[in-house]
Amino acid sequence: MRQLINALIKYKNSFIYLGLLILSLLFLNRRSFYHQSVFSNASLAVSSSFNLLRNNFSNYFKLSENNEKLAAENEKLKALELAQFIDKREKSNSIDQFDYEVFSARIIKNSYSLARNYLIIDKGYKDSIKVEMGVIASDGVIGIVNQVTANFSSVLSILHRDLKINAGFKKNGAYGSLSWDGTHPKRMKLNDISTLNPVSIGDTITTKGMSDYFPFGIPLGIVINFEKPELEGYYNIDVELFSNLTQKEYVYVVKNRNINQLKQLENESQ
Amino acid sequence: MNHNNLTSIIQFLLLLLLQAFVFDNINFLGFINPNFYILFIIIYRLNSNPTLLIILGFTLGLFLDLLTQGSGAHTISTLTLAYLRPFIIRFSFGVNYDIPMGMIKGSPASQRLLYLILMVVIHHLVLYSVVYFSFDNALVILKNTIITSFFTFIMVYLTMGILINKND
Repeated sequence: MRQLINALIKYKNSFIYLGLLILSLLFLNRRSFYHQSVFSNASLAVSSSFNLLRNNFSNYFKLSENNEKLAAENEKLKALELAQFIDKREKSNSIDQFDYEVFSARIIKNSYSLARNYLIIDKGYKDSIKVEMGVIASDGVIGIVNQVTANFSSVLSILHRDLKINAGFKKNGAYGSLSWDGTHPKRMKLNDISTLNPVSIGDTITTKGMSDYFPFGIPLGIVINFEKPELEGYYNIDVELFSNLTQKEYVYVVKNRNINQLKQLENESQ
Repeated sequence: MNHNNLTSIIQFLLLLLLQAFVFDNINFLGFINPNFYILFIIIYRLNSNPTLLIILGFTLGLFLDLLTQGSGAHTISTLTLAYLRPFIIRFSFGVNYDIPMGMIKGSPASQRLLYLILMVVIHHLVLYSVVYFSFDNALVILKNTIITSFFTFIMVYLTMGILINKND
C-alpha cells in the first residue's frame, strides 16, 4: 500500500498530465465537428471488430437455421427466374439497365430498443459502400448508410426518430413520409397523406422512388389503423411493417447509379 | 516568493491577452500567427514546482481556446509542453538544471538555443497535429510547424534578449 502511494506520488505529474489530456480531448470532441467525426470513426472501427468476433461465434451455432432461410429465399428467386423465362422478352442485359446496384452484407450489430437506433454491417468502403446508400432486406427497408470505415459501415435504422422515408400507397400512388415514433419496432406512422385519398385498413404501403436512396415499389407494410382529424387535411395512419427488424441478419446495400445526376438536377433547380 | 508569484500572474494575463487579441490576428502571409504566449512556459522559473506548471499550462491553453473560439488544440499543446518541460530542460542543460534562473545567466548560448528551439518546435508540432489530426495532412503539418516555429522563435528570442539586458 505504501509502495503504491509512493509510486503515485512519484508519477503524480504524469497522472495529472494524463487526466488533463483526457479532459482536453473531451473538450476538443465537444467543440470541433471534424474531430468528433474522427473520434467516432475510430470508435466505430474498434467496436465493430469486437462485434464481428462475437457475431462469428453466434453465427456458427445458427448455421442450420440460416440454411433453411436461404433455401426458402432461393426457391422464391428460382420461381421468379422461371417466370421470366416464360415471359419471352429480351432480359439478357437487365442487370446492367437496372438503376440500382446491389451488394449483400451481414449485420454484426443491431439495436432496436433506443429512440435512435443504428446497425453496423460488415462491408465498408473497400467493398465500395458509400455514405447515403440505402439498405434493404428481403422483406422491407432497413435504413441508410451514414458512416463508412474500411471494413464496416454504420447504418441509420428506419427505427430512428429523425429519419423519414418517402412511402405511399401501392393502390393509387398517394405518398407521404414514413417515420417511427419510438414505441414498437414493427409500428410506424405514415404522415402527410392528404384526406382527398381513400384509405382503408389492409392497404399495402410501398416505397416511392422519390428519396434517391431506395428503388420504387419495395413493399413495406400494411395499414392497421387510421384516423381522419377534422381540422387538418392529412390522415394519421398507423402502419405495421412486414419485416421484423429485431431478427435481421442479412441485408442488401443498394447503390443508386444515377444519384449524381439526380443531385446535380436538384442543385441546379434550387 | 510573493514577488515572483505576482510577476508570473502578470506575465500569464499579459501574454494571454496579447496572444488572443494581437498575435492571433497577424495572419502574416495569410496563415502565420506566431504563438508568442508560450514565452510564459519557457521563462517560468526553472526551480519551481512542475505540477503547478502543468496546471498553469492547461489553464493558459484553455483560456486561449475560449478567447479565440479555438477547438482545443492550444489546450492540448500547451499542456503537453508544460508536462515535457522538465525533460527538455534536463536534455538541453544537463544535470545542473535546477539552479535558479540558471538558464538566463551562466549557461552556454548553445544550450539556451537548444532549449528554446526544442520548446518552440515541440509545441508547434503538437498544436498543428491536433489541428489537422490526420496523416494525410502530414506535409501541411510539417510546413506550418516549421514556418510558424521560425517566427515564434525569433519573437521569443528577441523578447528574452530584451528582458535579460534590462535585468543586467
